[in-house]
Amino acid sequence: MCKKRFILILSIFTVLSIAISACQPAADSPDAASEGGGLMCIIVPGVENPFFGSEQKIAAAKAEELGYETLKLVHDDDANKELELIENCIAKDAVAIILDNAGADASIAAIQKAKDAGIPSFLIDREITQEGIAVSQIVSNNYQGATLVAEEFARLMGEEGKYIELTGRDTDTNAHVRSQGYHDILDALPDMEMVAQQTANWDQDEAFTVIESLLQSHSDIKGVICGNDTMALGAQAALDAAGLGDDVFVAGFDGSDDVNESMLAGKIDVGGLQPVAEMAIQAVIQADQYIRTGSTGKPEKQSVDMVLLTPENACMYTEYAPNGKTSCP
Amino acid sequence: MENKKMKKATQSTEGKKRVTKTDIQQFLLRGRAFIALIIVLVVFAVLTPQFLTTSNIVIMSKHVAINALLAIGMTFVILTGGIDLSVGSIVGMIAMIAGGLINEGINLPRLGIIVYPHTWMVIVISLALGTLMGAINGFIIARFNVAPFIATLGMLYVARGIAGLRNDGYTFPNLVGRPEYGNTGFGILGSGELLGINYSIWLMVLFAIVAYIITTRSPFGRHVYAIGGNENAAKLSGVRVGSVKIIVYSISGFCSALVGLIWASQLLASHPMSGDAAEMTAIAAVVLGGTSLAGGQGGVGGTLIGAFVIGILGDGLVMMGVSSFWQKVIKGAVIVFTVILDQVQARMQERIALQKQEELK
Repeated sequence: MCKKRFILILSIFTVLSIAISACQPAADSPDAASEGGGLMCIIVPGVENPFFGSEQKIAAAKAEELGYETLKLVHDDDANKELELIENCIAKDAVAIILDNAGADASIAAIQKAKDAGIPSFLIDREITQEGIAVSQIVSNNYQGATLVAEEFARLMGEEGKYIELTGRDTDTNAHVRSQGYHDILDALPDMEMVAQQTANWDQDEAFTVIESLLQSHSDIKGVICGNDTMALGAQAALDAAGLGDDVFVAGFDGSDDVNESMLAGKIDVGGLQPVAEMAIQAVIQADQYIRTGSTGKPEKQSVDMVLLTPENACMYTEYAPNGKTSCP
Repeated sequence: MENKKMKKATQSTEGKKRVTKTDIQQFLLRGRAFIALIIVLVVFAVLTPQFLTTSNIVIMSKHVAINALLAIGMTFVILTGGIDLSVGSIVGMIAMIAGGLINEGINLPRLGIIVYPHTWMVIVISLALGTLMGAINGFIIARFNVAPFIATLGMLYVARGIAGLRNDGYTFPNLVGRPEYGNTGFGILGSGELLGINYSIWLMVLFAIVAYIITTRSPFGRHVYAIGGNENAAKLSGVRVGSVKIIVYSISGFCSALVGLIWASQLLASHPMSGDAAEMTAIAAVVLGGTSLAGGQGGVGGTLIGAFVIGILGDGLVMMGVSSFWQKVIKGAVIVFTVILDQVQARMQERIALQKQEELK
């Protein structure tokens, strides 16, 4: 009786350890095949969001193509976890870290730690507030993108009427830069009136509930402009639920496939495409060059321009990169 | 197989008390967290080449230390049959308070001056405040007879809210202080080392020893167990249940504050979302370590092992590059599985007791 139980317990442990080893990627092959080579850590906020998921996937694919092993990690926007992951990468003797960081100020100590351990960091998508710690900081030109989106948003609204702005997480520099870009355009138009400005923390569910409650007091709005795509999807869903889906213009920002599809279906009306693929690939190429030659040959801060997305060109992009189509049906 | 084991065990303890089969089984179950720890260590050491290097062991211990400190405080609370859900939020709140004290000082508008406390005072004030938050938890629970789950759930929201309010959701960056104010050196707490080992690890060891002595050797420790075992009986035998409860929640608050300080110090920045959901990992470590959520059973030693199991499991999976989703599945499975063992052990102990009674007859 007891013996049976022990066998059961032991077998569960065995199954568990097999499960653990089965989850291991086939990355333990002999490293340093060519010059360059070694382990690249690719750390992003969270792969639940397709934006970061694609970013990580594209960077890892490029790194593997160049002969590196990759370790794909997520920090869930938690700066302490980010520090721990970077320490894990140091322990694993990584040759480079590709990082979409967890906070412009809160990430500095972690990146400095990697630098002290002799591991170069290449930042994508989000900047940090100090220069000279990371080798490259490749970000999309959020301000330029925001002005493009705001101009189209205003044109759709006929440059007049009430609108709501959903902003991103307060602690994220990009949230402020985008909002600034929107307002530099919209505040110059006297008939555009912002009736509410709320954060939805980049989050779809939160955007849904925020818009739902705001609609109680502002059912006469003509537009909702959002700091990112997931919030735009949440806002659009709330508007649809209230039966206002077709009357209110919604603007997103990022260029995710979900929003592109929504645009083609006539729901969301305008967006901006973050050149995620280009940033991720550039970061890996520069890391490779830095490892082989000791220099990237580029300045630390680099920005990549964004593209305006409308229902007319939304079908031409998949996974944040041109897909080869030249016209939309 | 079973017989062989038995023979061996019997031989080795020749002359002493006879070791029975059930004793061995009981030992294996009692030490399940320890066995889990060894299994986790062996599995990762085999699968990951850099796993058993000194530098990695130090790094992992440092990661474990954070959770272990929270879990040690939590052990006191759970031993009384309570629970403290506010731990993670107090971490975040204290990080923000400490960050604010260093970057902005204490503003005294009446006098028109700003006082910048010394770094050690920042630490003392923060620890005192964390202890106070814990004491408030304990007071509400003891005085108004609010269920610990509810009282600390309330504190979870309040403390997280205060963390956000302190700087309007923004991070306090660059907590290096300024020499002219005498508040430099905050980073030492999180990054400083003694004999090549981080202060946070030393703190974990110190806290574990002190907590072990308190729980096993002091009257206060016996009161903690007594309350968890049977609160009414404890009250009737003269234990001051209210004060003991206030003290255990204060201990938990103090530990949370210490972790908040270590985190802010490591990052040289304090973020209002620091420590989000840290209470869950702490509770998991306590439960994994064999402390019963009903109270009265378990101890600090088990908690420490539990924290190591969770920490090493986490770091090992990261180093192996297991996807974050799988990491969650595996962690969850290990926790539930260990608690299943808890139940098996309880049932087996009952049976062993019966068997022994029969043997005596």
